[in-house]
Amino acid sequence: MSQFRWIGKPLPRIDAKQKVTGAVRYVTDMAFPDMLWGAVLRSKYPHALIKSIDVSKAKEKSGVIDVLTYEDVPGLNAFGIITQDQPVLCQEKVRFMGDAVAYVLAEDKRTAYEALDLIEVDYEPLPVVSDMEEAIKNTTKVHKDGNVLEHVVITKGNVAEAFESCDLVVEETYYTPRQMHTFLETEGGVATIDEDGIITVFSSSQYPNRDIIQIARSLAYPEDKIHVVGHPIGGGFGGKDEITTQILLALGTLKTGRPVKTVWDREESVIAGQKRLPLKITLKTGVTKDGRLIANQCRVVADTGPYNALGSAVMKLALEHACGPYYVPNTYLEGYCVYTNNTLGSAFRGFGATQATFAIERQLDLISKKLGIDPLEIRIKNALQNNQSAGLGHLPAPSVGIADTLNQLKKHDLWVNKEEYLKTDVPYLKRAIGIACSHQGCGLGSFFPDYGSADIRLLPDGSFNVKVGCPDIGQGNATAFAQIAAEVLHTDPDNIHVEIGDSRTSPDSGSTSASRSIYTGGNAIVISGRKVKALLLAEASRALGVAPDLLQFGVNNISTKDGDRSITYKEIASNVAGRKGTIRYTSRFDWPTSELEFNEALGLPHYVFSYISEMALVEVNELTGEARVLKAVVSPDAGRIINIQGLEGQAEGGTVMGMGFALMEDVILDEGQYLTRDLSTYIIPTALDIPEMDTVPVEALESTGPFGAKGIGEAVCNPITPAVINAICDVLDINITKLPATPEMVYNLAHKKIS
Amino acid sequence: MNKITVNFVLNEEPQSITVEPNLTLLEVIRDVLDLTGTKEGCGQGECGACTVLLDNAPVNSCLVLISQVEGKKVTTIEGLSKDGELDILQQKFIEAGAVQCGYCTPGMILAAKSLLLQNSKPTEEEIRKAISGNLCRCTGYTKIIKAVKGASGQTEEVI
Repeated sequence: MSQFRWIGKPLPRIDAKQKVTGAVRYVTDMAFPDMLWGAVLRSKYPHALIKSIDVSKAKEKSGVIDVLTYEDVPGLNAFGIITQDQPVLCQEKVRFMGDAVAYVLAEDKRTAYEALDLIEVDYEPLPVVSDMEEAIKNTTKVHKDGNVLEHVVITKGNVAEAFESCDLVVEETYYTPRQMHTFLETEGGVATIDEDGIITVFSSSQYPNRDIIQIARSLAYPEDKIHVVGHPIGGGFGGKDEITTQILLALGTLKTGRPVKTVWDREESVIAGQKRLPLKITLKTGVTKDGRLIANQCRVVADTGPYNALGSAVMKLALEHACGPYYVPNTYLEGYCVYTNNTLGSAFRGFGATQATFAIERQLDLISKKLGIDPLEIRIKNALQNNQSAGLGHLPAPSVGIADTLNQLKKHDLWVNKEEYLKTDVPYLKRAIGIACSHQGCGLGSFFPDYGSADIRLLPDGSFNVKVGCPDIGQGNATAFAQIAAEVLHTDPDNIHVEIGDSRTSPDSGSTSASRSIYTGGNAIVISGRKVKALLLAEASRALGVAPDLLQFGVNNISTKDGDRSITYKEIASNVAGRKGTIRYTSRFDWPTSELEFNEALGLPHYVFSYISEMALVEVNELTGEARVLKAVVSPDAGRIINIQGLEGQAEGGTVMGMGFALMEDVILDEGQYLTRDLSTYIIPTALDIPEMDTVPVEALESTGPFGAKGIGEAVCNPITPAVINAICDVLDINITKLPATPEMVYNLAHKKIS
Repeated sequence: MNKITVNFVLNEEPQSITVEPNLTLLEVIRDVLDLTGTKEGCGQGECGACTVLLDNAPVNSCLVLISQVEGKKVTTIEGLSKDGELDILQQKFIEAGAVQCGYCTPGMILAAKSLLLQNSKPTEEEIRKAISGNLCRCTGYTKIIKAVKGASGQTEEVI
């Protein structure tokens, strides 16, 4: 019998009914009377100087209300979470095909798009920077200060000496593709302005409160007159963390006084939207002959494309995760984040750890093969333990569950009976089981303010209003918030009314990103909930004339310990209202951070980590190079499980997303031009591609987390990629170093046509 | 452009609308009739988010010109529940945890509905095939397949 009434239960999502009936209005479903459509003119070249922009013909077109250019941006014509280097509307230069040059505001969508063709822009094309190593040389500069946005070196121990003592050193270079978030709802929204000049932006957003700062800065407009609603949203995965349409929407409504709607079509989303940064990762890894990791040297080059967005932070997290969830006493971690004229690289679920996991987990398999050590055993042998330092040299929070997750795999039927699973009846179909581990730093790391807040109020009917800033971007954090609040407040989730993702009504709790929302929002709810409980108890004591220590909480009521008398929450609410009082508390929760900080690498290190291991049964067709993932067993350590159904949903969805990263997904460019433009050329897994999946979690409780919970939204898409690739390499005795491992690539490697 | 009048039955209600002939069924449903349960994910028939039933068969409504629905029966997600009573598929999607962001959900449920109308006890392979034109980026499909199985009466419990 669980010690909890609600924590851990597979409670159906609180928003599910609204979603299955089509009743929920996503931000891109919003419409207002008299609404204009805003269409963006994108660049014609990946890299060019703008000589002139002539919008006069477009403005003359019937139905066009206005055409905005850089001259119409009242404030800072730049945005960016870390570095404000991306123009709202380009003035002197374009740096990738997705750059915004003009914004047409018209009575309807068709008129707006037709008017784009009437805008005349005179460009002077420049040489294209498409190779990240070339970018470092600064032969052609994407930005005037040069192409190296950030260069970081972090060391622990002494790798040079350590390599001398190693029995085996393995060095390899890995390349990861431009994975696209492919949320089903593209970027978009609607903005309105009222007679008091209050601008309201309904736009897909993972952090409405930060959007306000960016909008205000570019519009030179007071922050308190901007209101952002970022929810409900049709998927985020990191791609809606940075600004997409928010500033242009706000500018459009400010200029015209009318509601403005913009939703990118799929092609525009492919071209202008953010992508997972392609990384080149070189690892030199040294071990003893019994397979113990001694040293790991890493060099990462990250292609953030034309602007920073969150690219430099992604590069740093790749370094942080480049040693895997293993103890490695000597490390040398060097990273470059460079500008190019390719896709806009930024946050994507896994945030650098995904890319790094592929590299280090391939290294582990190369080592295990060379030393003849079982791939599961070599991982168990090196698994990080509590009180061992991580790759950056700091001590993570002592809730390190990686060894436990590996032991879950070890006792799973797929591993125990693997000989049975590896059999096939067809001679050209060969099977193998691949294994990989990963971990993921939760939260924003050191230096950056990382906080949350929950506003809990008792309502007249005895139910509670719970407000937290973090939007629900699909993963179900709102349902988890309801469960946590119900548990703390001794009530049912039906009595919890969760409000999230609205900058005006819900308190700032930071972004829904970085595996942080359940930990942050949950902690804030626990703090507020305990205060509200104390207030309820005091009211019950007053009403019943009994000392608080003689009272106990029931469900929606408080009674004397002998059970003789009780008072319901509703009666308490009535008593309080009679005195014109309220029972309400707004908390503030601040993340704990590591004692170690790096002034030269802000944001590193993280303190709380989630851990995960996964194994995949893969069948490879030797004749075609096609790989099918038949089974996947995933063991996540998210600390305390808040909702087991939600955790399984994350594990399954993350596994399939990581499988796509391994086998099929890439936005292909040629000198900055997009060869991939839609969902017929960018393929993601369908229901016919997925493996049978089994989730076998462990709970390494995190003492600083709500009921012991950590975050898990990102780690779930990391280990499956190398697990699948390791299996393919094992079957065909090949070495895959570049993703995605398409059938053509696998076939050619197997037939030694490419090295 | 000369407008045309199109008569069809939408969610069991007769409709007669006069619109420009180059509108798609998706545009009419969302922008003219303001039924926003039907989603646009790609506008090119690749993702299935705009799936509706045309005479009980699933179609990508972004690829159907409005004149093509003359005299036909169109069912959108709003027409699936009757008098506030959820369809069994909708119930099972909720119970099985088959919904995350929910943007693919209306199209996914309608694709599954069409399958179950033709084949009340599909195999898992038949279910996978029936929804293979509907992309979902959140769930990994497993719980969706489980929900459809549950609705087809093949399993007692879906949780």
